[in-house]
Amino acid sequence: MKKLIQLVSLLSFGTLLLFTAAHAQDATDIMKKSHLAMYYAGNDAQMDVQMKLVDKKGSERIREFTMLRLDIADGGEQKYYTYFRKPADVARISFMVDKTNSGHDQRWIYVPSVDLVKPIAADDKNSSFVGSDFTYEDVSGRHWSEDNHKFVKEDQLNGKAVYVIESVPVKPYKGFAKRVSYVDKTTFMPLKEEYFDDKGELIRVFTADKIDDISGFATVTQRTMESVKKGSKTIVTFVGTKYNGGLKDDIFAERYLKNPPRDYIK
Amino acid sequence: MKNKLTHISLRFPWIVIGLAVAVTIFFAVQFPKIKIDTDPQNMLKADEPARLFDAKVKEAFALHDMIAVGVVEDNGAFRPDLLNRIYKITADIEKLDGVIVEDILAPSTVDDIKQGSGGTMVIEPLMGGEIETQEQADYILSRIKSNPVLRGKLASDDGKAIALFIPIQDKNLSKKLADEITGITKKYGGAEKYHIAGLPIAEDSFGSQMFKQMAVAAPATFLVIFLLLFLFFRNIKIIIAPMVVAVMAVIWSMGLLILTGNTVHIMASMIPIFLIPIAVLNSIYIISEFHAHYKKYSHKDNAIAHAIDELFVPMLFVSATASVGFFALAVTPIPPVRVFGIFVGFGTMVAWFLSLTINPAFAKLISAKTLHRFANADDGQGLLARFLHGLRDFARKHYRPVIAGAVALVIISVVGLSKIVVNDNPVKWFKKSNPIRQADMAMNAHLAGTYMNYLVFESNDADAMKRPDVERYIEAVQRDLERDPVVGATTGITDVVKKVRYELFGADSTKMVIPASQDEVAQMLFMFEMSGGDPGKLFKFVTPDYASANLWVQLKDGDNQAVRRVVERADKYIADHPVPQGVTVNWAGLPYVNTVWQKLMVGGMREALLVAFGIVFLMMVSLFRSWRWGIISMLPLSLTVMAIYAFIGYIGKPYDMPISVLSSLTLGLSVDFAIQFIQRMRTLYSRNQSFDQTYHDIFEGVGRAIARNVLVVSIGFVPMLFSDLVPYVTVGAFFLAIMLVSGFVTMLLLPAITVMFQRVLFRTAKQSVVEPLEVQPSEV
Repeated sequence: MKKLIQLVSLLSFGTLLLFTAAHAQDATDIMKKSHLAMYYAGNDAQMDVQMKLVDKKGSERIREFTMLRLDIADGGEQKYYTYFRKPADVARISFMVDKTNSGHDQRWIYVPSVDLVKPIAADDKNSSFVGSDFTYEDVSGRHWSEDNHKFVKEDQLNGKAVYVIESVPVKPYKGFAKRVSYVDKTTFMPLKEEYFDDKGELIRVFTADKIDDISGFATVTQRTMESVKKGSKTIVTFVGTKYNGGLKDDIFAERYLKNPPRDYIK
Repeated sequence: MKNKLTHISLRFPWIVIGLAVAVTIFFAVQFPKIKIDTDPQNMLKADEPARLFDAKVKEAFALHDMIAVGVVEDNGAFRPDLLNRIYKITADIEKLDGVIVEDILAPSTVDDIKQGSGGTMVIEPLMGGEIETQEQADYILSRIKSNPVLRGKLASDDGKAIALFIPIQDKNLSKKLADEITGITKKYGGAEKYHIAGLPIAEDSFGSQMFKQMAVAAPATFLVIFLLLFLFFRNIKIIIAPMVVAVMAVIWSMGLLILTGNTVHIMASMIPIFLIPIAVLNSIYIISEFHAHYKKYSHKDNAIAHAIDELFVPMLFVSATASVGFFALAVTPIPPVRVFGIFVGFGTMVAWFLSLTINPAFAKLISAKTLHRFANADDGQGLLARFLHGLRDFARKHYRPVIAGAVALVIISVVGLSKIVVNDNPVKWFKKSNPIRQADMAMNAHLAGTYMNYLVFESNDADAMKRPDVERYIEAVQRDLERDPVVGATTGITDVVKKVRYELFGADSTKMVIPASQDEVAQMLFMFEMSGGDPGKLFKFVTPDYASANLWVQLKDGDNQAVRRVVERADKYIADHPVPQGVTVNWAGLPYVNTVWQKLMVGGMREALLVAFGIVFLMMVSLFRSWRWGIISMLPLSLTVMAIYAFIGYIGKPYDMPISVLSSLTLGLSVDFAIQFIQRMRTLYSRNQSFDQTYHDIFEGVGRAIARNVLVVSIGFVPMLFSDLVPYVTVGAFFLAIMLVSGFVTMLLLPAITVMFQRVLFRTAKQSVVEPLEVQPSEV
């Protein structure tokens, strides 16, 4: 009898372990699928982006740019080309990123007023992208392998079935101590993300406000990042998104910073 | 009325006392509702332009009050172990509630713009993590020194001092946070010295210490006065009444103040200290008078009635003039001073009323035996009496030198008054030995300063601050201001633009200039944001629409005088060099706001003093029904005010907040003696019709009462001289000075004047009015 109890206990414990492991696996898998759907849709993409930076007092700043993206490998290397149009005094600034995921991204910027191409360091992915509430990492995505994921539950968000996943950075990270993602069960789009600091306080909230189907790819055409503590938010709208337009690798070169590729940037 | 009040008190002593106790309880139960306000900013009206502008600037640039933490190590602070300690300390400070984490300025939180590997430009934390080698430590110092945004602010050029600036959500948290930060520095600290400074912490600590000091000072004063009264009257039962009157007057005024929803500010906390002597003064006259009459009548009610009868008019006028002095503060533009004046004025009248009722009621309850003993204790030959006799004979014999001395005193005082320097600095409200003061001195000796002022450039046009002419103008103002030794550093948007440009061109110092085009300025700032610079940090210097810019002007000295000098320097520069079109320039910041309220305070006090002086003079003329006596009665207070303020001028003590408020007290207290002296002299004379007899008698009863008051009030406030807070020491010293000077003036100059002008002054009572006016010295 005693042995039986021991056996049952052992079995139940083992089942529990297996169950947890399975869910961890599921969670990582969900986050991987979500990452690929969100940041690697198509082989390439081009879009006009409007960023509205709204500060605590409600005053707005606008940034408009055209963005080109080329995927070298799904979940791996990507190249970005950004050409600024507004505000007027920074128009013609162009910016290029070679995202390698090896931790050695490269960024260059062209400053037209002094006609200078300058490499800028890309070590800190948590720094703000052009002064917005989005970080560089938010623009190109945080690789799923950098966090440990935990499946919390299945839930509903604004009438959509979602997975709720909790992610904790593998290595201590300045950007957040914990993130809770609400991932759409069908499209794997992150509908909402909440970022918490090490005091457990909410620091930022991402929401996918509008999702359109573009050439078969679910695309977040309007998104908001709110910095809860600072009281500011940034609303990003994508216009004219086009996938698989056949972007060539050679335009992601320094000389195209000074002279934007006219095929894509008018 | 005078007889009625006394009559009722004598007839129904228990009812009178019971009613007074009931009212006292009513006011005492208001105390839990007390609202304490320790914010010196409230010295200004809520809608005062300087204050509104300061609030607007803080809002526009997301500025917060800051606690400065200084680390001083004379052997050099830039060592790995020490920097790592600071790193940990900063991390712990970030966890405190009430700290604005993202705005902390510390080696581990500020960004450095620099050349990265592969010719990159990078913005990253100056100290990204703990370090290991001395080279790393040296490198951090070199980066601070080469960055105009950080230089002098974060570390001294000699590397002996490091500063952390901790912005806080609310000024009223600064004391609490400073204590918590001290705890953290103790946890990690090594041999180096940690200092915590800054105006907010001085102001908040002063607020909390003020109430502690009051809790000690008021009872100590009370006790000393009680002991002195006992020494004079040798009878506990007799002197209970004056003490009860004092306590009740304090409770009634403070209770009413709280009941009417007023906050207890630095000024209001001094109300008890001001009311105690005022309340005790009246009682001393009554007891002295009662003593004299009891001897004569040996009948309690009669003696009391007679004493009150004699004293009613002078006491009414004494109290009324003292309240006028305080009520006059209501004309000042400083709300806490107004509240203070109104409620001390109210308390003065309460004290008067209670003196007339509580004293008789208590006396009525005292047994005949006690009173008899009290009355028979002869004080006619005591030390005090003999001293007064000395004064009496001296003033009579040497009235010319006495008057000449008074004239000399006036001349000397006028010179001294011209030397008065108006200055204040809340940090200096602490004694030099206080840690706050020490921190202030240590940090300002090494670093760019703990006093943060803001010079704000505003325009209605978005992007105006990107204009090269505007940028160059700001830069020129910076260079000019920095020529004043008190200006430790100036930091503005210009420094960011130049620093980015310098690094963009590969650390080329020839490129560290304001660009020639607006696009280029804009693109330098864009580069800052692109390279990972925190826009939040940029917007401490410029509004997001670039319509306004904020120049941080860091001062090593928070004295209003020094701040004013810097403000005037900027004013002059702006007057000499026209501001770019469409741009206006204004100051903000705590040190600047302090100069504004001081200016209002000085002007307001002068006005209040003049108004009160005028009213008191008219009251004196009507009381004595004589211009001559009116003028004479103003002499003790005029001489006292002049002598004391001249003394301040000579010793170079700055005319600050407490000193300016004390002028009204001087007025109220000094006129007291003159009223008692003159009124009694005239009463005596009308009875005995003999100047010699009158002159002799005045030094007995009322003379002794005045002398007792001088001693009670001046000695009673000696405990305040040992306070840790300078304003309280000042108040204590002032009471002492007021009492001594006005006492001596009353007991020497007034007798001398009556001797010299006795024919004129005492003519009408004795002789016919038609006798020609002639002034001639009496032959003594």
